[in-house]
Amino acid sequence: MRILIVEDDEDLSRQLRSAFKDAGYAVDIAMDGEEGHFLGDTEPYDAVILDLGLPLIDGVSVLQKWRADGKKFPVLILTARDQWSEKVAGFDAGADDYLTKPFHVEELMARLRALLRRASGHTTDTIELGDLMVDNRAARAFVDGMAIKLTSHEFRLLSYMAAHKGRVISRTELVEHIYDQDFDRDSNTIEVFVGRLRKKIGTQRIETVRGLGYRLLDPDAETTD
Amino acid sequence: MAKGSPPSLVSSLVRAAALWAVPGLIGVTLALGLVSRNSSYRSFDESLESAVLGLIASVESDEDGTLRLSRELPEPRYQRALSGRYWMIGTIEDGREIIPLKSSRSLYGASLPVTSATISALDKQGQDPVRFTTLGPDLDADERLRVVALQVVLPNMTNPVVVLAAADRAPVMRSIRNFILAAVTLLSILILGTIFAVYAQVRLGLRPLFDLGRRIADVREGRAASVEGDYPPEISPLATELNSLISHNKTIVDRAQTHVGNLAHALKTPIAVLRNEAEAAETTPSEIVAKQTDMMASQVDHHLRRARAAARGQAIGVRANMDPVIDGLVRTLPRIYRDKDLTIERKGDTGLIFRGHPRDLEDMIGNLMDNAAKWTGSRIDVFVRKVEEGVCIVRISDNGPGLTAEEIAEALKRGARLDEATPGSGLGLSIVEDLADAYKGSLTFSRAPLGGLQAELRLPIAVDP
Repeated sequence: MRILIVEDDEDLSRQLRSAFKDAGYAVDIAMDGEEGHFLGDTEPYDAVILDLGLPLIDGVSVLQKWRADGKKFPVLILTARDQWSEKVAGFDAGADDYLTKPFHVEELMARLRALLRRASGHTTDTIELGDLMVDNRAARAFVDGMAIKLTSHEFRLLSYMAAHKGRVISRTELVEHIYDQDFDRDSNTIEVFVGRLRKKIGTQRIETVRGLGYRLLDPDAETTD
Repeated sequence: MAKGSPPSLVSSLVRAAALWAVPGLIGVTLALGLVSRNSSYRSFDESLESAVLGLIASVESDEDGTLRLSRELPEPRYQRALSGRYWMIGTIEDGREIIPLKSSRSLYGASLPVTSATISALDKQGQDPVRFTTLGPDLDADERLRVVALQVVLPNMTNPVVVLAAADRAPVMRSIRNFILAAVTLLSILILGTIFAVYAQVRLGLRPLFDLGRRIADVREGRAASVEGDYPPEISPLATELNSLISHNKTIVDRAQTHVGNLAHALKTPIAVLRNEAEAAETTPSEIVAKQTDMMASQVDHHLRRARAAARGQAIGVRANMDPVIDGLVRTLPRIYRDKDLTIERKGDTGLIFRGHPRDLEDMIGNLMDNAAKWTGSRIDVFVRKVEEGVCIVRISDNGPGLTAEEIAEALKRGARLDEATPGSGLGLSIVEDLADAYKGSLTFSRAPLGGLQAELRLPIAVDP
């Protein structure tokens, strides 16, 4: 999963980047409203964490612009502003959740996971595909109850495919959702990651659909495409 | 007085008084002068007319037409040369000039010049006297005479004769001038006196106001707690209103200071701990901690200053439309508590205006609705009603488990938190109660018809115009 954090405090954004990377997310950071709006407008994020008091363009305006342009990614507002009228304005602008500073990183993560869950239609942090279980909360995966060792990129790939299980996902989409902005993107590396993942979770679980991409098979459901 | 500010009350009132007093008194002076001049002229003319009548009564004509007086006029000045009093009797020659037949000794052989216009006027008037002004015989004194002339027919005479009596105008003119001068002097003194009296009266009348100003300055400079003293009935309501304003402001300042003090104390301890940690450690994170704590400290100082300034300057005369606040919360709470599938129903009156700060209204209704959303099963009712002039109630009820009387009392304790498992600062309800008290309202709890807790706020609203 790839997320955008728009936060002008350098220390806080660095802390958040490291915490979310550790939890298996690809993270991009924007330090002001203008950069934040541009990134949200051009990159396909799975979720955004947005501060309100930003330089250049304030958070509510950034969010309104995104929603006006039809951007549907879930947005969590993270701000020091705790007035009810500000919360109302945030939700009215199109926010999906609102968390006030000071906050605990665990709470922020839990709320972001809830947003991602809702967006993908799941009800819990764990996604089960037969005997394969992906635990987004702990950023780990299990086969037959045994934990498997995954690198952060491999986990991101698995987590994204699990959230969209049964659907064919193109290489481009995978590149866009598992790498952050600074990473040297090469779609050939996706093949390498898929190959390694197949070895760890079982070759038959990921199907290659020629010319279209990959599909994580869900043994419990009938695939339609 | 600052440039562009309105003129002082005293100068306005004095100017207004001068505006009617000065023209009024000038008008009175002019009228008095006119009346006195007319009356002087009239009495002057009357004395001349009686002299003419005296002459007519005492003049006799011989058979040869020679005139003589049976007795002289009693006024001795007719005998003294160029005295300013003259008489003359003459006949009209060719209708153009008067040939003197007899004249007073005072004329000293000269005659009274009569113009042909006067002669034709005499013909026209018949038995009525003609009055005119002419130059007198005393050319050195530039004598101007007032003359009364009457045409009569004497016995033994075929042609009518003209009898003229004249007197120097100068003494009368002098007395009129003296009268006007005296009148102007006296009335000027009266004008100045009136203006001064008005000034003194206004100063005296406004003295309670000046006194009130000094008392307010005493309050502002901390020498007094409220506006003291007895005031006349016109000003006493102002003093009372000022006192309630001062006490209202004081309540707000006290409240702000309490809250700010609490905030500062709450922050100071962790700042001290973090700062000590930062000084003790030598690894990189200590720099961050130090930087953050410095920022916290400067924020605390900044907000303390701002809050103190704001508490001094505002909070009176603010109003808040209740509808957008309630509607915003009704819209937003279901999004915050998405897992609960909340139904919030709003009932009762709309269009009410809360008499207070919008943020306070948000805090009160927001915290109560948020509390209801935390505890409710799925349903919240918000009911607003104007119960009397200037007062409304806001009733927020839910279908949660509700609270016992002891639990309610516990919830209202400052900083108390009823259930540690439910997130929140625990200050929500006590803040609502503090705010309601500050607005002379109230917060009460009871069992809701839905089964859960019902909170009822009583708040001041703007009175309909």
